[in-house]
Amino acid sequence: MLEKPDPKNLLETARALLLESLLPALPESARLEARMVASAMAIAARGIGAADAAPEPELAAAIRAGALDDDPGLLPRLRQRARERLAVSNPRAL
Amino acid sequence: MPSAEPVWDDGRLAAWLSEAAGAPVAILARARLSGGAIQQNIALSVTRGGVAEEWVLRTDNAATLAVSLGRGAEFALLRAAHAAGVVVAEPLFGCEDRGVIGAPFFIMRRVSGSAAGHAAAKRAAAMGGDAALAGEHGRQIARIHRIRPPRSDLAFLSEPPADATAAFIARMRGRLDEAGTPRPPLEYGLRMMERQAPAPLPPVLCHNDFRTGNTMQHAGRITAVLDWEFAAWGDPHEDLGWFTARCWRFGQNHLEAGGIGPMDAFLAGYAAEAGWQPDPGRVRFWQLGATIRWAVIAADQAARHLSGQEPSLELALTGHMVPELEWDVLNQAEALHAGKA
Repeated sequence: MLEKPDPKNLLETARALLLESLLPALPESARLEARMVASAMAIAARGIGAADAAPEPELAAAIRAGALDDDPGLLPRLRQRARERLAVSNPRAL
Repeated sequence: MPSAEPVWDDGRLAAWLSEAAGAPVAILARARLSGGAIQQNIALSVTRGGVAEEWVLRTDNAATLAVSLGRGAEFALLRAAHAAGVVVAEPLFGCEDRGVIGAPFFIMRRVSGSAAGHAAAKRAAAMGGDAALAGEHGRQIARIHRIRPPRSDLAFLSEPPADATAAFIARMRGRLDEAGTPRPPLEYGLRMMERQAPAPLPPVLCHNDFRTGNTMQHAGRITAVLDWEFAAWGDPHEDLGWFTARCWRFGQNHLEAGGIGPMDAFLAGYAAEAGWQPDPGRVRFWQLGATIRWAVIAADQAARHLSGQEPSLELALTGHMVPELEWDVLNQAEALHAGKA
């Protein structure tokens, strides 16, 4: 068993420190980069434990070939996968 | 980020400039301006024949994107645009000789203003949308679109496509194949474009990166249209879709025209200058194209980070914009399908 706090908790705690204590103390010229670091930490924290689905080359090829033009299940399937990806990359966009 | 100040002999540059200007040019000062991944800009304070002038020297960085045009081509485009009445920094002299500063470069007159997308959108949103500024953007695009093939001065551009939609779809599929990551949502969007493709229009010069943040502004007016390196012959609605796509509204989604103003004011400005009415359906069609293209570019930027050649947190985070763009592609493709059903 790994020691607690787990990686997700560490990232979230470190991110809160960065945003609440460090960011206000930084010069204006460094704030954009600090916010980028905070964004990266948030994405990484959300990604811990997220299932990574296999790539779907056959699906991509079938869509391109027009083989699924009349498949009513296609769009819901694409949306489901897109939701899983957004849940890590940017849940606010949902 | 290595911020290497370009090293060259100002004496040699001044001699070349004097020759090009037909009057003695003395370089009083130079300062590095915003450097991009592709090119860098150096402010030059000079005297030409004893009279003070403010110029910008634009040159290539070592690592130039293969998909963008070089400085010589950009200089020719600026000249064509300037002649067509587009507000640009006046192009003065172009140099293809690498012996002068080590890379091709060109000189343009320095323009005041700033090109910051988020700041421009925020300012416009604070006043409830800037319809006048949106209309001015429409007018500038219409002037660019007055440039039509054939043009011997723009012979470096690829042949005008017989069908801009088919050419776009083929280009995007090629880039997806080259990148090697299967992306079903983008394939879905491209397939929908293929199925709903409108009849081809006569090709015009498209800027292909005309968005808020690529126009320099001062006091709410455009002082220069920037970044011509993706220009190509295409459907005029490509530029209109790029400018108005959701992904280029800088957080001000309700201001459809680039996050700065309403769509109708933007299109009215275009129509007043162009003498014809753009088709709103075709604009929506190319908004989908814009979203797909930006997703492809964003994925390529992340790949530059992932390859280890250019480790960068900014490039890495750009990759995480792709899922949102894919989500947007699915929504737009569905709406396009419903609209035609």
